[in-house]
Amino acid sequence: MTAHGTDEAAPAATTGAKPVTATRHLLAWVAGIGVLSVLPWLAVNDYHRFLLDLILINVILAVGLNIVKGFAGQVTVGHIALMAIGAYTSAILATKFGFPFWLALPSAVLVTALAGAIVGIPSFRLEGAYLALATLGLAESVRIFISANDYLGASIGITDIPPPSLFGLRLDTHLSYYYVVMPLALAGVYFSFCILRSNTGRAFKALREDPLAAAAAGINVQKYKTLAFVLSAVYAGCAGSLAAHMTPGFIHPNSYMLAEMVTLLLMVILGGIGHIWGGIIGAIVVTIVYDLTRDYYNYQMLVFGMVIVLTVMYMPTGIGGIIDRYIVTRRFVALRKAKGDAA
Amino acid sequence: MTIGTGAGLRAAVSIALLGAGLAAQPAAAQDKTIRVGITLRMLVESGIAYGDIAKTVMESVNAKGGINGAKVEVILLDDECKPDKGVANVNRFIHQNKVHLILGSTCSSVTMPIADITAKEQVPQIVPMSTNTSITQKGSEWIFRVSVSERFYAGAYGKYLGENVGKKIAYLYTTDGAGIAFVKQLQDYMKEHYKAEPVYQVQMQETDLDFRSHLLKIKSTNPEILAIAGQSDALARQAQQSFEVGIPKRVWRVAASSAGNVTYPKLAGEAAVGTTFTQAFNCADERPIAKQFVAMVKEKYKFSCPDHDFSQAWDAAQIALVALGKANLKLTDAALADDRRAIRDAIATIRYEGLAGGPIEFCAAPTPQCRDGNRTAMLVQYTKGGENFETKVVGRVSFDKDFGLGK
Amino acid sequence: MLLEVTGFSKHFGGLAAVSNVDLNVEEGEIRGIIGPNGSGKSTLFNLISGVYRPEPGGTMYFDGENVTNLPPHEIASRGISRTFQMLRIFSQMTVLENLLVGHQRHTRYGILSAIVGTPAVWAEERRMRAEMMDLLAFIGLADYATMPAGELSGGQRRLLALGRAMAMRPKLLMLDEPAAGLSPLNVDKLLETVLSLKERFGLTLIIIEHILKVVMDTCDLVTVLEHGEKIAEGTPAEIKDDHHVIEAYLGKEMKDADVRAFLRG
Repeated sequence: MTAHGTDEAAPAATTGAKPVTATRHLLAWVAGIGVLSVLPWLAVNDYHRFLLDLILINVILAVGLNIVKGFAGQVTVGHIALMAIGAYTSAILATKFGFPFWLALPSAVLVTALAGAIVGIPSFRLEGAYLALATLGLAESVRIFISANDYLGASIGITDIPPPSLFGLRLDTHLSYYYVVMPLALAGVYFSFCILRSNTGRAFKALREDPLAAAAAGINVQKYKTLAFVLSAVYAGCAGSLAAHMTPGFIHPNSYMLAEMVTLLLMVILGGIGHIWGGIIGAIVVTIVYDLTRDYYNYQMLVFGMVIVLTVMYMPTGIGGIIDRYIVTRRFVALRKAKGDAA
Repeated sequence: MTIGTGAGLRAAVSIALLGAGLAAQPAAAQDKTIRVGITLRMLVESGIAYGDIAKTVMESVNAKGGINGAKVEVILLDDECKPDKGVANVNRFIHQNKVHLILGSTCSSVTMPIADITAKEQVPQIVPMSTNTSITQKGSEWIFRVSVSERFYAGAYGKYLGENVGKKIAYLYTTDGAGIAFVKQLQDYMKEHYKAEPVYQVQMQETDLDFRSHLLKIKSTNPEILAIAGQSDALARQAQQSFEVGIPKRVWRVAASSAGNVTYPKLAGEAAVGTTFTQAFNCADERPIAKQFVAMVKEKYKFSCPDHDFSQAWDAAQIALVALGKANLKLTDAALADDRRAIRDAIATIRYEGLAGGPIEFCAAPTPQCRDGNRTAMLVQYTKGGENFETKVVGRVSFDKDFGLGK
Repeated sequence: MLLEVTGFSKHFGGLAAVSNVDLNVEEGEIRGIIGPNGSGKSTLFNLISGVYRPEPGGTMYFDGENVTNLPPHEIASRGISRTFQMLRIFSQMTVLENLLVGHQRHTRYGILSAIVGTPAVWAEERRMRAEMMDLLAFIGLADYATMPAGELSGGQRRLLALGRAMAMRPKLLMLDEPAAGLSPLNVDKLLETVLSLKERFGLTLIIIEHILKVVMDTCDLVTVLEHGEKIAEGTPAEIKDDHHVIEAYLGKEMKDADVRAFLRG
C-alpha cells in the first residue's frame, strides 16, 4: 500500500529494500478498523457523532468523484445529481414500496450505476469545459424533474424515510447509524484502493493523460470512460441512499444544487485530485472546516470559492500532493544520509 | 505497508481528531444561561434582517437583568433554505450547544425535518415563518407555529373571493412549492364550497420568462380572477405580462404570499397595483405597536414596508420571551430535559397579541388545532408599485381551530 | 505476409494526405518509410493503427485477418504496436506504470476480481511488474522505474516510448521517427536497442525516419512516399539510385554525386 498509487514493489526489486508484505497491509487495515470502531465513543457528544456520519458519507461521495474526475480525468459536474438519484430511488422504494433499507440501498446503487452510464455518454464526444457544461445540464434537469414531480415529493420533499433496522432494532441514532455508514465507507475506500492500483486504475490515468496514446496501447477508451462514470455512480448512489435514511429521514431537491456540487469539488481538489487519498482527506477536512465556519455563514461560500481558486493556483496537487512531497523528500534525505554514512 | 500509508492514515486520523477537538470547545455549557438556537434562511438582505430581529429581541432582555436573573444567549445560524443544513444546525443546537429552545425555520422544507428532530429529542420549537399545513399534523408535542398555516390562507382567499369577487378563476403558476400549494388549496376550496372548476390552468418552470401565450388564452376565457404563483420575480413577470396582453384591470390579480416579498412590487412596478395576496401582517397597520415596529425596521434595516416575515420573526421572539419568563427553569446541565419540558408547557398556555392580524393562541394537545397558533389571515392589496410601494388591507379573516382539516 | 494494406486513402479538406497506398510487409522484415515533410508518412501510420479510418475501398489484413476499420484498441490488441512522433508518454505516471499500461492486454484478471482485490490479482500484478522490470532493464531504464515519466530526459523518453510499445508484446512494431532529436551517438545506441529487441522478440518492424542513415543501414526494404503517393519501393541500394526519390528529396537541380553523398549521410 502506497501513498500515491505508484508502485513500490519495483524499487524494492531493484534497490534491495524490504519488499511489501501482506502482513503489513493486513496490520494497517486492522489498525484502521480498530480506530474507526471506537471513534464514535471518543466523540464528545451526539453532534460529533452526527458529524462523523456526515464525514463518512462525504468520504464515500468524494472517493467516487475522485475516481471519475481525479483518475479518469473526466470533468463532470453531475455527480451531485447521481447522489440525488440514489437518495430518491432509495427513499421511494422504502416509503412507497415498503423496501427495507438493506434492499433499498443496493437497488438505489444499481439504479444510480445505470444513470452513471447515461451521464457518461457525453464524455465520448466532449472534453473539459464542454463536458462540464453537458453534465451540469443533466444534473440540473434531474433536480428540476424532481422538483416538478408530485410523485417524488416535488418541492415539498419526501418525509419519514425509515431508518435501517437490524433484528427489530431501529438504527435511528447517530451512534447506531455510524455502524451502518462506517463499514460501507471502509469497504468503499478499500475497493477504491484495489481498483486504482489495478490495471483499471492505470487505464483511467492513461486515458486522463492521453486518450490517443491509451487507445494505441490497447485500452478501450469508451469502455473505461463508462466504467469510471459507473463506478463513481455506485459511490454516489450509496452515499445518496445513506443520506436519505439517516435520521430524520428527509430529502429535498434543494440539497442537490450547484453549491453542493462546488463543495464536493472542493473536497476532491483540496484533498488532492487524482491522489488515492484525495477524496478521503478532502471530505474529512472540508466537512470539519465547513462545520467550524458555520457561524460565519455570511462569508462561507465566498471563502470556499477562494480556497478552490487558491488551491488550483498554488497547490494544484492538494493536501495529498503536499504529503507526497514530504514523504519523497524525507525518503530522499534518508537515502542521501545512508550514502553519506557509507562513504 | 510502506511509509506512505502510515503517514496518510495518521494524518487523516489526527486531522479528524483535531477537528473534533476544536469543535468541542464552544460546547461548554454555562450555568444560569438560557440558550436559544435560531435557524433561518439568511441568504438575502431581508433574511439577514429577520435573523437579526429575532436575535436582538431575545437578547434585549439581558440589558434589563435577563429573565428571572438568567441571561439569554442566542445562537443564530443560516440554513439557506436547505434541509440538510437545517438538520445540521439543529443537531448542533441540541447536542453541542444544549439549547433550551429552538426557533426555525423559514422554508417549510427545512422546518419539516427539524420538527422530526425536535420531536425525537424533546426540544421545544417555535416555527416563525413556515406555512405548510402538514408541519403541525404529525402529532409532535414540541412544535408551535407562529406563522399562519396554509389552510387558513387558502380559506381566506377562497372565502373572500367567493363572497366578494367571483368564482371564475384562471391559474398561472410555476413549480415552486408554496405556489403549488396555494393553487391547489384555492382550487379545492372553490370546488368544495362553490363547485367551481378553474377556467384555465397551466404550470410553468421556475426559469420560464415568457408567459404571454398562456396569458392570451386566459384573456379569451374572460375570467373574473387571475391567480398567479411562483417566486417573487416570476410573479412580477406574470403580473406585468398580464397587462401587456390586455387582461383588463377589473380582473383581480390574486397572488401567492410571495407577492408580499419586497422584491415583487420593485420588479413589477405599476403592474403590482391591484395585486391581492394574503399576509399575517401589513405595514399599513394603524395600531401603535405596528407603527412603532415599522418605524424601527425602517430606521434599522432600511425596509420602508416590512413584510410579514419581519413581523413573524419579531412575534416568535416575543412569544419565546413570554414563555421563558413563565417557565420555572432550573438552568443546570442535569435539569436540561426538565427545563425544555417546562418551556414547552409554558408556550402551550400562551395567548399573545402582537403584530399578527389577530391573537396567537396555543394549547397543550399535539394537534394542529392547538399548535397553529395564528388563525387570522389578512388580504392585502398593492395600491402603489415600485420602490416606494404602498398597500392596504382589503379583508381580514379569522378562522376557527378546525378549519381546513377536512373533518 | 504479415501486413497487407491495399488502397488506403485519406483526405483532409480537399488535400490528399494519403492516396491509394498499398503496403505489404513480410513477417520478420524491417521496413523503412521515407519521404519529405507532409508526404503522408504519419497519416499512413495513423490509418494502420486505427486512429484514422481509411476511405472506402481501402482494406487491411493482419496475420490473415481482416482488420479494416477496427478501432485503435482493437488493432493494438491484435498485436500492432506503435510509437508517436510526439512520443505521448504518460508523463504524470511513473516509468514502470507507463510500461504496465502497454502490457495491459496481457493482464489475466477481470475488473470484478480487481475491485475485490483477490490474491490472484496480487500475484498477477507481481508477475507483470517483474516482467516489466525486465523490459526496463533491457532498455536501460530500470533505475528510473518509480520516477514520474515527465522527469526523464529527452533520450530517455524516446526509450520509454519504445519500451511502452514493446510492453504490448506486439508482432508488428511501428516506430514514428524514433531517432528524431538524438545525438549521433544516441542514435546508434537506440538502433542497437531496437535491433536487439527485434532479435529477442522476433518482431516485424516498420520505421518512419528522417535520418536516412538509419533507414539505409537497417531496413530490408524501403517505401518512399511523396504527396501521399507511393513513388518507389525497393532495397536501400535500389532506392539510392532512384531518380524519383532524388527529385522528391532534393529538387531536380542537384547533381547526382551530391545526392549520393547526402543519402549516404
